[in-house]
Amino acid sequence: MTAFAIAKASLLRVARDRTALFFLIALPIFVIVIIGATVRGFSTFSVGVVDLGSGRSGSDLVAAMRHSGDFKLREYGSVASATKAVARAEVSAALILPAGMDATLRSGRTADLGILAEQTNSTQQAASSAVHSVVASQASRIQAALFASEHQAGSYDQNLARATSLQTRMALVQVSTVQVDSRSNTLPEGFSYSAPTMLVLFVFINTLAGAANIVETRRLGMYERMSAAPVRARDIVAGETLSLLTFSLLQAALIVAVGAIGFGVSWGDPLAAVVLIAVWALVAAGVGMLAGTLFRTPEQASVLGPTLGILLGMLGGCMWPLSVVNSAVRSIGHATPHAWAVDAWTALIARGANLGGIATDLAALAGFAAVLMVAATVRLRRQLT
Amino acid sequence: MAASLVIARKDLRQRLRDRSALTIGLIAPVAIAALMSLAFRGADTFHYTLGVVDADHGPVAAGLLQALQQPSLRHVVTVRIIPTEADAARQVKGKEVAAALVIPAGFSNAASGTAQTSLRTLSSVNNTIAASVTESIASSFVAQINADRLSVATAIAAGAPSSAVPDLTAAASKLQLPEQLTQRPLGAHAVKAISYMAPAMAIFFLFFTISFTARSFFVDRTQGMIERMRAAPIRPLEILLGKALSVFVFGVASLTAIAVITSAVFGADWGSPLAAGTVCLAMVIAVVCLTALVIGLARTQRQAEGIASAVIFVLALLGGNFIFISVAPSIMRRIALFTPNGWALRAFTDLSTTGGGMGAVVVPVLAILGFSSVVGAGAVLLARRAVTS
Repeated sequence: MTAFAIAKASLLRVARDRTALFFLIALPIFVIVIIGATVRGFSTFSVGVVDLGSGRSGSDLVAAMRHSGDFKLREYGSVASATKAVARAEVSAALILPAGMDATLRSGRTADLGILAEQTNSTQQAASSAVHSVVASQASRIQAALFASEHQAGSYDQNLARATSLQTRMALVQVSTVQVDSRSNTLPEGFSYSAPTMLVLFVFINTLAGAANIVETRRLGMYERMSAAPVRARDIVAGETLSLLTFSLLQAALIVAVGAIGFGVSWGDPLAAVVLIAVWALVAAGVGMLAGTLFRTPEQASVLGPTLGILLGMLGGCMWPLSVVNSAVRSIGHATPHAWAVDAWTALIARGANLGGIATDLAALAGFAAVLMVAATVRLRRQLT
Repeated sequence: MAASLVIARKDLRQRLRDRSALTIGLIAPVAIAALMSLAFRGADTFHYTLGVVDADHGPVAAGLLQALQQPSLRHVVTVRIIPTEADAARQVKGKEVAAALVIPAGFSNAASGTAQTSLRTLSSVNNTIAASVTESIASSFVAQINADRLSVATAIAAGAPSSAVPDLTAAASKLQLPEQLTQRPLGAHAVKAISYMAPAMAIFFLFFTISFTARSFFVDRTQGMIERMRAAPIRPLEILLGKALSVFVFGVASLTAIAVITSAVFGADWGSPLAAGTVCLAMVIAVVCLTALVIGLARTQRQAEGIASAVIFVLALLGGNFIFISVAPSIMRRIALFTPNGWALRAFTDLSTTGGGMGAVVVPVLAILGFSSVVGAGAVLLARRAVTS
């Protein structure tokens, strides 16, 4: 009972603090929107195109590139702006359609298309090869139209239409893709990536920053005064833990709701998701309690807490999928509880796993929670008695 | 002026005695930038191993293998020959190769005739880029074969007699695709993770100075320090100037130290020192103005901390300090240019890629100073209240 009273007092204190509410509610949602809008670049290239007045064949090529699905297309007005965009990595390469390209092609000459990319930059080369294949496909049609006009009747335009229609129907040498596995190791892109990872990140950061309250209470000698009343040390520990746990759960519930309703995130198997959130809230509460006994001033907690939280979040795959970093850093990442939590969310969201499918991750997280809780309890009790 | 200097010196001394100043001003940004550079070492370039199963051993297959090993692709793909398709599938699944290309038996024969035939790419759901690059290379290779077939078919469709097929085929085989791609070098370096993240983290942690200074101002006020200062012949603006000066010195020292360490130890490219220094100075001025505005807006220490936190995180998120802003959608890149840090990061990106000296940073610096003057004007309007109330 005493523990509940302590928890209630701590909860009310945070609820009245507008700064805490900003971090608790507004910031996570804001970040989900931003990261969700950004994390889309891991499986496709962006390619730029500059049309210097190429005519019909140029606009046909742009349309073909738009439909290819191999890359996202961005149009630029000048070679200079496209060069800047490639340099800034806004696009991985840029295609330049020369002036008079259509006339050149119609007259049977070869059109020289430029592609902005560095020979030594492999990303730019890979994007160039994607562009090359679309250009080659269009060039096939034009070659056929010219050839037919030269050897037989019909205008260039009529034969181009014939070639375009034949290209989709006739027996050609195809390149097909067979997917050999279906076990995705990364979360889907967009909000389905940002919502679960930011849940992991923010629940953790908030309890770390929330340790400031425990430090302040400790510094003001409140715990000693409580101990003077018939309140046992373990009730104080339980009360503070309960308050951190409640906040973590409330925040997680809010992010789940906003993700599902606002951004259409599917959180996977409900039972497994609830258990995962509960275990993660325990980890977060544990770290908050431990931080509360380790930090010396509230300022330390509110400055170092978020910094540490961001650092661990980066290591643990909250800011980018761990599959894009090198293997050593990926292994180091699993020293943080974040990586296990993100792995579990990946299994639930990307692979439709159930409770059994995330058992290992849950066990690892429960281990983290237990170690943190025990360490925090031992330290706080020692400080209280 | 002398009074401002004294206040600045006292604030700085107080700041440096607190160990968290060192953490925020130097250790944390360097550590995070280093971590990111470590994480993305080798990951900011694209290279993969492609398994090739050659069940054909014909001339067309040999041509394809040669195309895969052409000089322009040397940095992109390494070819590994695998005996069977089953082996290749297993290696793709086991991530030993990123993707595989299967050249089926009889491919050379089929490709030289008119029958339908196909090359197969084996891909993994976890490496869609490798699969799509392989598909692109293979498609480009077969494009000429297909173009020749299409040429004959189009001529027939346009009315040529079937008896002309052998002649048409012979004529078509001499054709070359009428569109050629020529590589045009950019004369720019690629953005390295550390060259973006070092300034991004330096600026993010520089923002924390807003919170620290605003907090210390209100602590001073609660303790009656400001009133005592005002009892002396010091004008309110001098008090604010002193605070601003301490922020300025701390900010410049922090950014300089981070730039020197990340350049020397982690190979970050901050560009020409003069240009980078100018952007840093402009950025510190923006932080000074923001600090003044927060002090002007808040009435209590609690409020100051709250407003400062909101300012820090909103600016850092919108400006691109946490994410690589270049890959963000264009609307977000446009929004970033409403923040001083967004302009600073754009300047640092340009400096490390296209190089250039002061010319490259004129617009960003003017934009940051413009932002600062708007914020500063607001702060001056509110300043009197903060010091006198």
